[in-house]
Amino acid sequence: MNIRNKLLTNIGNFVVFLGPCLIAFTCILLIPLFYGLYLTFTDYSPISTTFDFVGFSNFREVFSDKEFWQQFVKTLGYVFYSAIFCNITAFILAYLLAGNIKAQNFLRAGFFTPNLIGGIVLGYIWKFIFANVITTVGDILDYQPLKTSFLTHPDRAIVAMIIVTVWQYSGYLMTIYIAGFVGIPKDIQEASEIDGATGIKKLFSITIPLMVPSFIICFFIIISRGFMTYDLNLALTNGQPYGSTRLAAMHIYQKAFQANEYGIGQAEAIIFFITVAIAAVSQVLLTKKFEVEA
Amino acid sequence: MKRRLFVMFLALVVIMVLTACSDQTPGTAGSDMTSDNAGSVDSGSSGGKPQVKITYFNTSAEVNTMFEDMFKRYNELFPNVIIELIPTGIGEGQQEKLQSLYASGNAPTFMNVDPANVIEYEDHLLEFTEENASWLSLASDGAVDGGTFGGKVLGAPWSVQGYALLYNKRVVNEIYGEGKFDPTTINTRDALKAFLEKCEAAGVPATMLHGANWSLGGHYLTLTYAVQGPNTSDGTGFIDKLKAGTAKIEDSPIFQGYIDTLDILAKHNYNKADPLVGDFNKDIQAFGEGKCATFFMGDWSWTTMVTLENVDQEYGFIPVPWSNNPEDYGNTEVVMVLPKFQCINKSQSTPEQQQAALDALRWMLTEPEGQQFFIDAGFFMPYKNVRDDVVYNSMTSSISDYAQRGKTINLGCFSYISGDAWTETGNLMLKYLAGAIDRNELAQGINNYWQSVK
Repeated sequence: MNIRNKLLTNIGNFVVFLGPCLIAFTCILLIPLFYGLYLTFTDYSPISTTFDFVGFSNFREVFSDKEFWQQFVKTLGYVFYSAIFCNITAFILAYLLAGNIKAQNFLRAGFFTPNLIGGIVLGYIWKFIFANVITTVGDILDYQPLKTSFLTHPDRAIVAMIIVTVWQYSGYLMTIYIAGFVGIPKDIQEASEIDGATGIKKLFSITIPLMVPSFIICFFIIISRGFMTYDLNLALTNGQPYGSTRLAAMHIYQKAFQANEYGIGQAEAIIFFITVAIAAVSQVLLTKKFEVEA
Repeated sequence: MKRRLFVMFLALVVIMVLTACSDQTPGTAGSDMTSDNAGSVDSGSSGGKPQVKITYFNTSAEVNTMFEDMFKRYNELFPNVIIELIPTGIGEGQQEKLQSLYASGNAPTFMNVDPANVIEYEDHLLEFTEENASWLSLASDGAVDGGTFGGKVLGAPWSVQGYALLYNKRVVNEIYGEGKFDPTTINTRDALKAFLEKCEAAGVPATMLHGANWSLGGHYLTLTYAVQGPNTSDGTGFIDKLKAGTAKIEDSPIFQGYIDTLDILAKHNYNKADPLVGDFNKDIQAFGEGKCATFFMGDWSWTTMVTLENVDQEYGFIPVPWSNNPEDYGNTEVVMVLPKFQCINKSQSTPEQQQAALDALRWMLTEPEGQQFFIDAGFFMPYKNVRDDVVYNSMTSSISDYAQRGKTINLGCFSYISGDAWTETGNLMLKYLAGAIDRNELAQGINNYWQSVK
C-alpha cells in the first residue's frame, strides 16, 4: 500500500514538475533536432511533395561550399573578439561599480539596459549611428576615416558588429561579475590586506582566482550567444557589404531558405551545432581547472 | 494525504491540458472542412449557395490594406465567399512563410507572388485555360506570356513596372533650358556620357547608383541577360549556356558594354565617396530634392517619393545604352516587367475553393469595380478594358509612354532567375563598384555562380 502510494506520488510529482517542461523540450528541441538530422540525408524541400534519400551527398556539398567555411572562420573570429572585449569591459565596469561609487544603482541599471533591447531594434539603432551620426561627426571634424560609414567596408563592418555586441552584453555580464565580487568572503579580503596585499596585487592574487566561476559563466554565455547571432547580424549589416558579414547562422539560413538547398543548409547547421557544442564545453572544462577553493 | 491528492489533481490537469491541445487541431480542421465543403452554414442569405472560405497570400507588402479593402467589398457583393488575407511585411521572410504554409498543409487558396515563386510552386498551381479563365483574354498582348511557364498559363498578371535611368525633369530643364531636353536622343553610350558630363559641368552630380545588391544585381546585371534578344528564350538560353559552361559572360559584347556604361555611371555617381551605403530613403530623398540629375531605379520609387516633403513631382525615364549603335536592342528601350502574378493552388484546395478563387480573380482583375482598387493605388494594369481616363504619376506615365511606342526590354528571363541569383551576383557587382575586384574577377565570379546552380 505504502510503496504503491509512494510510486504514484513520485509519478505525480514528476508529471507536475517536469512534465510540461519535458514535453515542451521534446516538441521544440529534441524532435526538430533529430528530424533535422534525418533530413540532412534527404533532398527535402518544403515545396516539393516527395523527397528521396541521398546519403551523405549533402555533407559532401558542405565541404565543397567554400563560402560556408570562409564565413565559419569569420564567425570564430567574431566570437573570439566579442568574448574577449565583452568580458574585459564587463569586468572593469563591475570592478568600478562593486565599490562604493555614487549613483551606483543608476549606473548599473544604465549599463544593463542595452541588454533589454532586442537585437533587431539594437541593430537598427546602431545602423543609424554608424551610417548617419558617425559620418556627420566625421564631416564636422573633417576626419577622413569617420566620413564613410563603418558598414560599407568588409573589415570595418565586422568591427561594427563586435562593438555593438560588446555594448549589448557587457552590462549583462557586469551583473554576474558584480555578484562575483560581492560573493568574495570578507574575511579573506581582510586577511590579505593584513598580509600586505593591496590594489592590483589583491585583484590578481585574491579577487580574480576567487571569481573563476563567474568567468566560466560569462564566457559560456557570450560564446554560445555569439555563435548564434542572427538578429543583430540581420538588422545591422544584413550580410553587407557584399556578403562579407554573413555570419555562419545567416549563411545557413540563406542556404536553406533562399537558395532552396534545404538539405545542405541543414547539414551545415548540424556541423555548426557540433562545433558550438565542442567550443562551449571545452571552454567550461578548461576554465574549471582554474577554480580554487577559498 | 491532502498534499498527495492535490498533486494527483494537478497531474490530471496537466495531462488534460496537453491532450486537449492535441485534440483541438483535428477538431477545428474538421469543422472547417464542413463549412468549406458541405456548406450548410448561412445558406439562406447567400441564395442557397454554399459558403466558401478561401485564403489569399500577399507578398506585395505595401498594398496589404488595398487587398483588405478589396476583399471586404467582395464579401459584401458575394456574401457566400469569405476571402481571408494572409499579409506579409517587407523583409519579413515572405518566402519562408509561404514555404511553411505549404509544408504544413495550409497552402493559401490563391496568392500574389514573384515570378520565381511561380516556377518553384509549378506543380502545385492550377493552370488557367480558356474554360476556367476566359477573362484572361482581356490581358494586354504579351502580359499572359509573362505568366506562362513551361507552356502553361499559371500566373495572372496584374501590374506593370519599369526601370531604367530616372531623371529629374526640373533639374535637367534647368541645365538644358525648358523643354529642350529630349530623352530619345540618349540612344548611345557616348550620348549618355555627353549628357552626364553636361550635368556635371553645370555643377549637378550627374547620376546616382543605389548601392544594394538587388539594384545592381537584380536590375542592372539582369539587363545583360535580357538584352541578348527580344524573346524570353534569348535570355534564358544565354543563362542556360552560362550554367552549362559553354558560354562565358565576358565573351558577351552586351556584358562588356553594360559594364563600360556602369563605369561611366560610377564615375558620376552621387554616392561615389561611399558607394555601398544603400539607404533607399536617403537616396530617394536626395534624388527628389534634385541633388543629382538621374537615378538608376524604377517607377516603384513613386510610392516612397509621395511620402516625402520638398521633393519634385516630374520625372521621366532615359534608357541605359550599352553600345554606340542606336539600332542595338536595349539602347532606346526601358525595362518593362510584370513583377507579380496571381496564382491558384490546386494541390491543397477543394474544387469549390478553386472555383471561388477563379471568380474572385476575374472580379478583381477585369471588373471595373475590382480594377478601381488597383488604379487608386497607382498601379498600371496590363488589361485592355481598364478605364482610359486614368491619370498616372509621372514615372508610371513615362513607362507607359515607352510601352505604347513598343520601346520596352522584355525581362521575361528574370522570372527564371530564382533563389539567390541576385544576392550572389549582386554582391559581386557591389564588390566591383567598390573597387574590391576588377572586371575580370567580376566575370569569373558570375560564371562561377551560374555553374554552381543546378
